[in-house]
Amino acid sequence: MSAEQASFLLARDSLLANEVSSGLHRIRRRGYQRYVLWKNFIDFSLLWKRRWFIIAMFLGFALMTAPTPAGLTHQGQIVLCMSLISTILFASEAVPLPTVPLLIIVGEVVLLGIDPTVVAQSLMTDSVLFIMGSLMLAVAVVKQRLDKRIAWWIVRITGTNLYAISFGLVVVCGLLAAFIGEHTVAAMMLPVGVTLISLTSNEPTKVRNVAAVLLFSICYGCSIAGVATPSGGARNAIMISYWKSLFFNPEDPATNRYIMDYLHWALYAFPMFLLRLPFVTLLLAWTFKPETTDMTRSIARLRTQVAMQGPMRGSEWMTILIFGVTITAWVGFSQHLGLGTIAIAGTAAFLIFGLVRWEDINAGVNWGVIWLYAAAISLGVEMKATGAAEWVAHSMLHGMQAVNANGLFPFNFTISVLTIFVSNTMTAGAAVAVLAPIVLNTAVASGHDPLATGFLSAISSAFGYLTPAAQPAFTIVYASGYLKASDFMKIGVRMMILSFMVLMLLAQYYWPQLS
Amino acid sequence: MSLFRRNVLPDRQEAAIQKTVSHLRAQRRNRFRILACIDGTDESFISVRKAARFGASDECDIIILYVRPIDTGLHSGGLQVRLARQNMMESGFELPGVSHLKRALDILKAEGLDVSDWSREVQNQDAWGDPAGDNKIEYKGPTGRSVVLKLKTAPDVAVGILDQYELGPYNLIIVGAPSRWRSEFRSLFDSGVVQTIATMAPCSVMVARKQNERMGFLFAIDGTARSMQLVRRGAVLAHVMQRDISLLSVAPDEAARPAAQEAVANAQALLKAMGITTLEARVAVGDVATSIVEVGNNYGTIVVNDERRTKMERLLRGSVATEVVRRAATSVLEVR
Repeated sequence: MSAEQASFLLARDSLLANEVSSGLHRIRRRGYQRYVLWKNFIDFSLLWKRRWFIIAMFLGFALMTAPTPAGLTHQGQIVLCMSLISTILFASEAVPLPTVPLLIIVGEVVLLGIDPTVVAQSLMTDSVLFIMGSLMLAVAVVKQRLDKRIAWWIVRITGTNLYAISFGLVVVCGLLAAFIGEHTVAAMMLPVGVTLISLTSNEPTKVRNVAAVLLFSICYGCSIAGVATPSGGARNAIMISYWKSLFFNPEDPATNRYIMDYLHWALYAFPMFLLRLPFVTLLLAWTFKPETTDMTRSIARLRTQVAMQGPMRGSEWMTILIFGVTITAWVGFSQHLGLGTIAIAGTAAFLIFGLVRWEDINAGVNWGVIWLYAAAISLGVEMKATGAAEWVAHSMLHGMQAVNANGLFPFNFTISVLTIFVSNTMTAGAAVAVLAPIVLNTAVASGHDPLATGFLSAISSAFGYLTPAAQPAFTIVYASGYLKASDFMKIGVRMMILSFMVLMLLAQYYWPQLS
Repeated sequence: MSLFRRNVLPDRQEAAIQKTVSHLRAQRRNRFRILACIDGTDESFISVRKAARFGASDECDIIILYVRPIDTGLHSGGLQVRLARQNMMESGFELPGVSHLKRALDILKAEGLDVSDWSREVQNQDAWGDPAGDNKIEYKGPTGRSVVLKLKTAPDVAVGILDQYELGPYNLIIVGAPSRWRSEFRSLFDSGVVQTIATMAPCSVMVARKQNERMGFLFAIDGTARSMQLVRRGAVLAHVMQRDISLLSVAPDEAARPAAQEAVANAQALLKAMGITTLEARVAVGDVATSIVEVGNNYGTIVVNDERRTKMERLLRGSVATEVVRRAATSVLEVR
């Protein structure tokens, strides 16, 4: 038989399809996937995945049983060890993150011997209620699908030039994020960015840089405004909570300044948004050099889409009204009613008017985050109560004095760099929750204003620009699949330098005037 | 009684489902099914091109797979990423991966496999609680041939690919060149996607590379019964693709040279009996994996047989197949 005559059937004569399931136990028939996952839980790889958990636990317990340093109570030593374990677990994500707050709660009762009711009460503060309320509000707002209308309002003002649209997006996203939280705006505006990209070209790879400019405009619009008001992000609410719990004394009127209201926060932090605003589009244009700047075609198609949606519906007007009332209440009544109560009331209004279903809120909110912030704040309060924060603050102060970092600028510089470093290893809220008791006590010990130092720390925690996981808005926009992780690094370094310089200028020249 | 009925009905349904699945699998075993995995990088699309060339005949089905990790994480500041994703989908936008699958379809067309006139069936399935789940478009040709584009959700890419095998079975999995390949020890804890697939897949695996794409096959044989199977089955594939076949047997030292020569002679005889001609036959002496890689880099595809070594055996004794897959500059087909 010659080669030409040879005739074969590939499925029979060539590579055989191995039947893995035949004759095997039922559990294997259910799928290789489950088999592999099941194996993950019994083989050594799980131990490897949990290595940082094991290391953190060993290290923590070794330090707990070590002799207590001079000037520190044993309770303080335990709190510091718990903070160290939490920080390692936050940064390494060795266990699912909601596990960390659960462990903190158990640790407070078992290791510190605090009454369980006291621990439970310490978990729910107005700030935690506020974080919970704003997340529920976020789901309600995102569900209203106002994105295309907002985009149309933007381009009606900016025209069809890419840079003008980018600037418009930064301004609008920023103004919205300042009040309703950066994650809300990112989730809401992401379809707008993707609409503009997809209407520009059917082949996204051909307009990659245009896509980067548009999507980063949303990212940075949200990011630079997230610090502008208390409702911009969880970190702000956490810092407000720390000021109150650490420094406010009802019997001392001089400490009333530590009850931070909405307007006062904006007075300190809103300039951070305004001063960076003009630079974002410039940096994006410089970094990504878009393939085209003419968006006429995509804007025309966007207009058609908006026209097809018809006029504004009653539900959309009601959404805007409820949100307007909520923001007004935050600005005018937060000192009396609390930020959290107002946020909860806003959510209730959305539910009453049938604008959102509870099932959607339940599915859209990551409740683990609320546990995380609640437990972190509770641990921070314990750091103060046991004297641990003061001890660390004094140690830090000695270190700073040793390198002559006593003046306002070196102090601000050190605190900011420390916060940026920590916030690049974990989420900003967690970074503030871990660091705030220490930096605020360091400020007191070194004679600096805890308010300004708190702002410095809260704002610096928003400078995690280098990875998609560094900020909520980044994570959400990155999930669209249009950006690469390396893009975040490319623009992030420039943005970080710019933000750091603006912050140092404010801390040096503007905030002392307010104090 | 009602309790009894409730118990019986699912069992009957289960039996019916099992019967349907067995029937489907039996049908599929008569087809040559290729699973080409892509991740959106240029390197990964070589796997689609290879699949089109391997699967040029009517008895082949091609399944293009993109595995999308589940949307999870606390990094989105407490707002679930799925909310943003849902928002995008309600606006009519594609999931990440859809554009890559479309590009794969274009590549198939460029290779002569145009499915635009074929009948089309779309399926969606819940998976891992993800709002988008698994999505599949199946194109059915007039001769019964099918091309499937599958967007799968899984906690991990390798797990997704292995799970897809379970839904098969497949004759061949094609993956792109690995971007990272851990040592045998590190791979116990943390191995790359291609490494996991190459070591764990139940069927033959090809790691596709761009170099020498249109050149012939080199069969690396060692004289064992398993390597003779490699020759028999690999030769059919090469013959159908009209590629030249060359043979290489590497002796670890001079003393083993006669055995290597005998292995080559046996393989030649087998191919002759099958009616397939061999382009050249070589015997080399030296480190087995190194020699195969050095010689094989001048060919289109190196064909090696999997030794079926366990993780522990690979750790202690190493594996020629794994070494060749890792170090070769050209495509490697690991036959099982």
